[in-house]
This record gives sequence, C-alpha cells and structure tokens, in this order.
Amino acid sequence: MSPSARKFAISLVLFLLAGAALGWFYERPLVGLLLAALLCLAWQTRQLLQFERALRTNNFDKFRLGEGIWEQLLARIRFDRERGKRRKVAYRNLLREVRKSTDAMPDGAVILDTRNEILSCNRAASELAGLKRKKDRGQRIDNILRDQKLSSLVNDDDFEQSVEIASPLRDGEWLNCRVVPYGADQKLLLIRDVTERMRLTRMRRDFVANASHELRSPLTVISGYLDALAEDDDLPDQWHRPVEQMQSQSRRMNRILSELMELSRLESSGSASQDEVIDVDALIRKVVASFPQQADKATISIANASRVRLLGREAEIESVLVNLLTNALRHTPSGGNITVSWERAINGASLSVEDTGIGIEAAHLHRLTERFFRVDRGRSRDDGGVGLGLAIVKHVLARHQAELDIVSEPGKGSRFSCHFPADRLSLPVS
Amino acid sequence: MEASDLSGHISKRFNKDIEQLRSSVLSMGGLVEKQLQQAITAIVSGDSELGLQVANDDYLVNELEVSIDEECGRILAMRAPAAGDLRLIVAIIKTITDLERIGDEAEKIGFLASRLAAMDRPPDSYRELKNLGTHVSHMVRDAMNAFARLDVDEALDVVREDERVDEEYEAIQRQCITFMMEDPRSIKRVMNVTWAARSLERIGDHAKNICEYVIYMVQGRDVRHTRITDMAENPNDQ
Repeated sequence: MSPSARKFAISLVLFLLAGAALGWFYERPLVGLLLAALLCLAWQTRQLLQFERALRTNNFDKFRLGEGIWEQLLARIRFDRERGKRRKVAYRNLLREVRKSTDAMPDGAVILDTRNEILSCNRAASELAGLKRKKDRGQRIDNILRDQKLSSLVNDDDFEQSVEIASPLRDGEWLNCRVVPYGADQKLLLIRDVTERMRLTRMRRDFVANASHELRSPLTVISGYLDALAEDDDLPDQWHRPVEQMQSQSRRMNRILSELMELSRLESSGSASQDEVIDVDALIRKVVASFPQQADKATISIANASRVRLLGREAEIESVLVNLLTNALRHTPSGGNITVSWERAINGASLSVEDTGIGIEAAHLHRLTERFFRVDRGRSRDDGGVGLGLAIVKHVLARHQAELDIVSEPGKGSRFSCHFPADRLSLPVS
Repeated sequence: MEASDLSGHISKRFNKDIEQLRSSVLSMGGLVEKQLQQAITAIVSGDSELGLQVANDDYLVNELEVSIDEECGRILAMRAPAAGDLRLIVAIIKTITDLERIGDEAEKIGFLASRLAAMDRPPDSYRELKNLGTHVSHMVRDAMNAFARLDVDEALDVVREDERVDEEYEAIQRQCITFMMEDPRSIKRVMNVTWAARSLERIGDHAKNICEYVIYMVQGRDVRHTRITDMAENPNDQ
C-alpha cells in the first residue's frame, strides 16, 4: 500500500469515527456515523465527477483536486499520457525514417500477406510496377500485375525462382521479380528494373549471330580456293601439307561458326512447339547407326528404349543425342562401353548416355555447359571438339523444359541424363 | 462501392468465391493483354511464328471464358446475390464476353501477321499499326486496372481514349486508300493492314465496353450509348 493510499484509508476511518463520536455526544452514535458517511460519499462523488471531467476534457489544470489519493491518481495518469505522447512521437519518427530508407531503395518492395494481398509497398514499387500505395492496399498482387509467370511465382511460394515480366507501365521495359519469406506468414516481393541487362544480353546475342554470319562469307571463299588448290596437280609437293592443314582448319572454323549460329538461334527462340511427335526409340537407333563401329573406339549399345513419344523438335533432339554420343566416344578409350537409354521416370522420362570413359572431376561439372569450356586446356584441341556441343545441348533442353543432369566419377565414367517433363510426353497410338 | 465492400459478407465462403471470381477475370484479362501484345509484336517485327502461336493460343482465352461463365452461374444459383454483388456478377458476365472478343481479334491479328510476314515490308515497317496497337493495348491494360481497382475515373479516361483511337483508325484507313490508289499491286498487302487496323479499333471498342461495365458495377448507372459528358456526371455527388 502506497503512503497516500494508507493516508486515505486512515483519514476515512478517522472521519467516520469522528462522526460517530459527535453522534455519541448527542446520544445518537449511528446517526452521526451515517451523516459522516453521507458527507464522505458526497465529497468523493464530487471528486470523482471532477476527475472524470478532467480526464475527458484533457484539462488537468482547471480543477483543484486537493492533495491525497486523487492527486496521486491524476499525476499518475498525466505521467502515463505524457510518456505515451513522447513514445508516439518517437515511433512516428522511427517509422518515418524506415519509410524514408525503404523509399530510397532503388528496387521495389511489396509486402504481401498469405493471400497475396498487398499490405504495403515502397515508392520504387509504385514507380516501377504502377502500384498505388493507398488504393491498392488489400488488393491481390496478381490482380494488378496480371502476368501468369508472376502469379504462379507468388501462388506457389517459390522462393528460389525469379521471373522477368514486361513492365506494366512502360513498353519495352522489363522487371525482374522474386519472392522472399518475410516476417510471420508474410512475403516480400522484390521488383528490379532489368531493362538494361536484358538489352545487353540481346546485344551480345545479336553480336554473336551477326559476327558468325559475317565471318562465314569470307571463309567460304577461302575454303573454296583451298579445295581448288588441293585438287590442282601442278601444286608443288612442299605445299601439299600446308594446304591440307589449312583445309582442315577452315572446315573447323566453319563448324564453329555454324554451331555458334545454331546456339544464338536457340537462345533467341522461345519454347519449342509441341507439334512434332518424336519416336525417340527410332531416333536413337538411327543416330547410333550413323556412328560406325570402329575397332579402336568404344562400343555403343542401346538399353531400355521405352515406346513413349516426345513432343518437340526432332532435329534438335537429334543434335542433342549426336553431341552427347560424340562426347562420349571422344572420352571413352577403346574397349569401353557407351549405353544409350530412353526410359520413363517419375514425372517424365529421361534420355541418357552413359559411358565408361575417363570421367570428369566434380569441380568442373557446373562449368561444363559453358561455351568453349574445356576440362583440360592442353588436350582436345586436336580431336575435333569445338567446345559448343554441351552448350547447344543445354539450350535445346531449356527449350523443351528439360533438365540436364550430369553424374560423373573420374576414371569410372559419366552419365548425362536429359530429364523431360511429363507434359512433353505422349503415349504411342497402338 | 469500394473494393473493401466486396469482402464484407457474413459468409466467408461467399467472400472467397467472389474474390476468386474477380481474380480469375483479371487473370483472363492478363492473358488477353499478353495475346494482344504478342500479336502486335508479331505484326510489327514480321514474326510469322509468333503470329501463329498467338492464333493457336486463343483457345486458352476461350476456355477461361467458359469456366468463369459457369462459376458466375453457380454463384447466381447458390447465393442469389443482391445489390452490389449482383452488379458485380452481371458486370463480370459481360466483361468476359468482351475479353473473349478481344482475344478473337488478337487471334485475327496474329493470322494477319503471319500472312504479312510473307509479303514485302514497307519501309516504315507498319509504324502506324504499331502506334495504334500500343494505344489500344494501353487501353485494355487501363480497363483491367479500372476493373481491379473499381476506379471510375480511370474507366472514364479509357472511354475518352477510344475517341482518339477512332481518329487514328480513320487516318490509317485514308493512308491505306492512298497506297492502294498509288500502286494497285500493293492492294493485297494493304488490305491485310486495314483488317489489322480494323481489329485494333474493335479492341478499343471492347475496352471501352469493359469500362462502362466498371461504371455500372461501381455506381449502378447504365452508361452505355451515352455521351462522355453524361457519363462523367455522377448523380451520387449531387
């Protein structure tokens, strides 16, 4: 009990006792007690009313409540109110700071709740994606940014992927969107302007395509004259070997150029159409037959050829198979085995080429599909490899929504599997 | 009516149904926007493959129309909605019809793009079609935004834009007639251009219709076949 509360209780009891004593003096102690109690009640009621009015009008100076418990109460409340006010100001300042810093971010950020409704967004988000900060609160994000890719990104809670969508405000601009988990049950959608990056990628692609195309015409002339020279009977003997070498190098350049052009064609086109039904089994037989069995090479065999058909571009799948087989043959010594298989798997089917060759070290696996990447820089320059085969494989597979999976162990062999999704497959009509 | 009014039902299930319905209309809108965008790109860049792809993908829009229509029927039968909800359902039924038509026009433009890609290209590579196309696709986009935000002002802006689209269409037509008179050999090609322009102009009309449904949905006024000045007057303000 605080001192003022004790004082209050004691003075109340004393006052009532005094009333009773005064009544006793007049031989009516109960009446005295009652009167004292009534007086006390009236006084406290007045205090209470004044106190209430002071709280209501928020004007504490006008009413003198005297000392004691009422003043204590009043002081306590005033103190709390003042503190609340100060805290509010502090919070408001803090909030303003946070807002300022999120607004200063160059990337858009949108906070979404579990139902993908917009809770708030920063200034960059409204400038990049045209969100209206007040009006769009509570609106589902895919109602405003109506793009299927984005909608599946936020609905599937896919925190790994990011998608590129066309800017809803300005034509020709591109936004990269990704979702990260945020707070309890919330998500943060990050929006970044990638127009410049997309433009650079396109420029690079166009440059490679144009350069390969431009280099091709002079090369045709060169190899034409070289062919004529090689067949010329008057060619001095010491020139036979140089001409032969020039011929083989110009053929090699030609192959590099056509593969580069093929690559840029694959890169610039979208998803492969599903018009063609590919009989993969027959395709494998055809491609394998085109590699003549040689005594000093590994033997190729076919295992597990499923009858399921693939929907896509036959010519491209053929080039995948040819590239994988060429690589396998190149890296498998004679006496080794290469196995091609086409089999149903969980959610799809996979086309794999397995060899018992030299294998690849794990450190190199992730760089294998880069253009002109070579595991061993010294080797393989002369054995006919261009260095674009796996890059082509990767792009063809991307066009078919397929994934390339490489398992390899040095000295034991490698397995290249292309996993195609189920919606690219169809069962043969029997 | 405000966006928050749509989620003020006692039945949570009903709230969810209506939200879901609105979202599927908007995702249909998104698909149509994409189709239109690609059709215009195809015609401007002479990409016949893209044009054919747009034409082939039109069935997706049709499928969405049928499924949304069915859902509207289900809600009408099961919930017997009244007032704002009823207007919403009615507006949705009309909106998806117009969206589907926009999809059809985009399909036509896709076909025309593949046909035009096989012919000579004029030196300006269809700049006027590109301008009209950009204009119209912005209208469709803004109409869908107005639908999402229940924004009458934005809807009115789209309606005003339609007049300018009509003017642009007129200009293209006059230009095409001049081309045909100058060089009768180009008639076949220029005819295709006029058809594409015609399709774009129709898309503008459909976008305008959608905006009229938005006004109907929000204010309960039927503003079809009225002048823009009458349309902009809001009786609730007086």
